[in-house]
Amino acid sequence: MNKKYAMAYVVDRCIDCKACMVACKAEWEVPEDHFRTHIDQGMKEDFHGKTRMDFLPSQCNHCDDAPCVTVCPTKASHKRDDGIVYVNRNRCVGCKYCIPSCPYEARFFNHDLGVAEKCTFCLPRLAEGLEPACATTCPGNVRVFGDINDPTSEISMVLREAKNNRLKIYKLREDLGTKPNIYYIQN
Amino acid sequence: MIHQEAFEWYIAVYLFLAGVGAGSMVVAAVADMYDREKYISFIKAASFIGMPLVSLGIFFLYIDLGQGMWKPWLLIFLFVNPTSAIAWGTGILTIFTILSGIYAAHNLGYIKVGCKRCLCWALIVTGICTAGYTAVLLGVLKAIPFWHQTSLPILFIISATSTGISGAMIVKMTILKSDANIKPIETAHLYLLVLEIIALIGIVLIALQGVPEMQYSIKQLLVGDSAFAFWVFLVLAGLIIPAIAFGMHEAGKLHLNVKSVVALEALVLVGGYFLRHLIIHAGVYTQKFTEYIVR
Ligand code: SF4
Ligand code: SF4
Repeated sequence: MNKKYAMAYVVDRCIDCKACMVACKAEWEVPEDHFRTHIDQGMKEDFHGKTRMDFLPSQCNHCDDAPCVTVCPTKASHKRDDGIVYVNRNRCVGCKYCIPSCPYEARFFNHDLGVAEKCTFCLPRLAEGLEPACATTCPGNVRVFGDINDPTSEISMVLREAKNNRLKIYKLREDLGTKPNIYYIQN
Repeated sequence: MIHQEAFEWYIAVYLFLAGVGAGSMVVAAVADMYDREKYISFIKAASFIGMPLVSLGIFFLYIDLGQGMWKPWLLIFLFVNPTSAIAWGTGILTIFTILSGIYAAHNLGYIKVGCKRCLCWALIVTGICTAGYTAVLLGVLKAIPFWHQTSLPILFIISATSTGISGAMIVKMTILKSDANIKPIETAHLYLLVLEIIALIGIVLIALQGVPEMQYSIKQLLVGDSAFAFWVFLVLAGLIIPAIAFGMHEAGKLHLNVKSVVALEALVLVGGYFLRHLIIHAGVYTQKFTEYIVR
C-alpha cells in the first residue's frame, strides 16, 4: 500500500511555546512576514460554564480533496501519491488563486520568489529519513507525524490509543468535504 | 475573522475592466442584430473600448502574477487544469478577445466578416461568459463564504452590462461626438441600474442572515471600515444618482446635456469599480476552529 503521511496533534500537551513555528521558519527560510504553521488560542466554555483556553496548532492539512489543487490552473499545486500536497515552484505562476481557496488559511504568497507557499510536511527532510522540523522540535511532543497506512507507525499507535481511551479525535471543518489529514486529539 | 489578502485592487481592476469590455460588446452585438443603422454610433464606440479594455484587464492580472510575470513561458500552464476557474477564464477571455477584435475591425471598416450574425451571437455568448466568469472566479471559493453565492455572477453580469453601456456612451459622446438618438439603449441602461440595485439589496439581505463570516463581511460594507466607500461611491454615486437622473430624464422631467450625461456615465463606472473592489476586500475566511469563541 502507498504511504499516506499525516500528522496528529495531542492538543492538551501544547504549551504555546511556538518552537514549531520557529523551527519551521528557520528550516525553510520562510519570508519574514509569514509562518507555515501557527498556534491559535481558542476560548470556550466547558459544561460547568467555566472558560477554558486551548492552544491550537494548525498548518496545511494535506487534504485528500484539496480546494487548492482543484483551483490551481497550472497544476503546480498537486497531491502526491504519498499524500503530501505540494507546490511545484518551477511551475507556479504566482496567480495566488490557491491562497483564498484554502479554508484553513494555510497558504501565503512568497513575494521574494513570486510563488504560493505552505507546509510541505518537510518533504526534503523525509527524503533524508528525518521527521518534519516541527515534530522534531516540539518539546511537548504534541506533533506526531507518520504514515497512517502503516499500523505500526507512531501516529497509527497514538490514534489507536486515543480511540481506546475515548479521547476526542477530530479534524478541522470536515463539513467542507476537503478530507483533511491532520488529527486533533483532545481530552 | 481573517480577511483574505491575496486578492487586492489589481484583481478588482481586472474584473472591472473585463466586465466593461465584455458588457459593451454584448450590448453592441445585440443592438447590431436589431438595427445596425440606428445604433452604429454606439456599436463603433463599443468597438473602440471592447477589446482594449479586456486586454488591459488581462494586463492587470498579468502584473499581479508572481513569477509568471518574469517567466512568461509558464503562462502556457494556465490552461492545463480543467477544474480551475482561472483555466476556464483564460480560455473564455482568449476567445472573447479575439472575437471582439474581429468585430471591432469589421465595425471600423478594416475587414469584412462573412456571417456577422454568427459573430454577434458568439460575442453575446462569450461576452456574458466573460462577465459571469469574473464572479465565478470568486464564487467557487467556498473558503470565503461571502463570495460563495450564486447571486454574485448575476450581479456582476448586470453590472458589466450597465458599465459597458456607460463606457461606450462616454466614447460615443466625447470621442465620436455623436448625438444620434439611441433611446432604447438608454432605457435599457435605466432598467439595468434598477435591477442592479434590487440585486444588491438581495445580496445584503441574504448575507445579513447568512453564516457569521457572511454577516461579518456585509457589516464591513454597511457599517464597518468600508462603509464610506460602499454608501458614497457604490450606492449613491454608482447607482442611486444615475438611476434617479436617468429616470427623470426618461420621464421628461429633466433635461440632460452632453456633459451631465458623460458625468453620470462616469459615476456608473466608478460604482462598477467599487462594487468589485468592495466585494473583494470584504472577503473573510471561513473559520477553522468552529467550536471556539471568536473574539
Ligand atoms: S489545507 Fe489548504 S493548502 Fe493544505 S491541502 Fe488543504 S486546501 Fe490545500
Ligand atoms: S499561485 Fe501557483 S500554486 Fe497557487 S494556484 Fe496559482 S499557479 Fe497554482
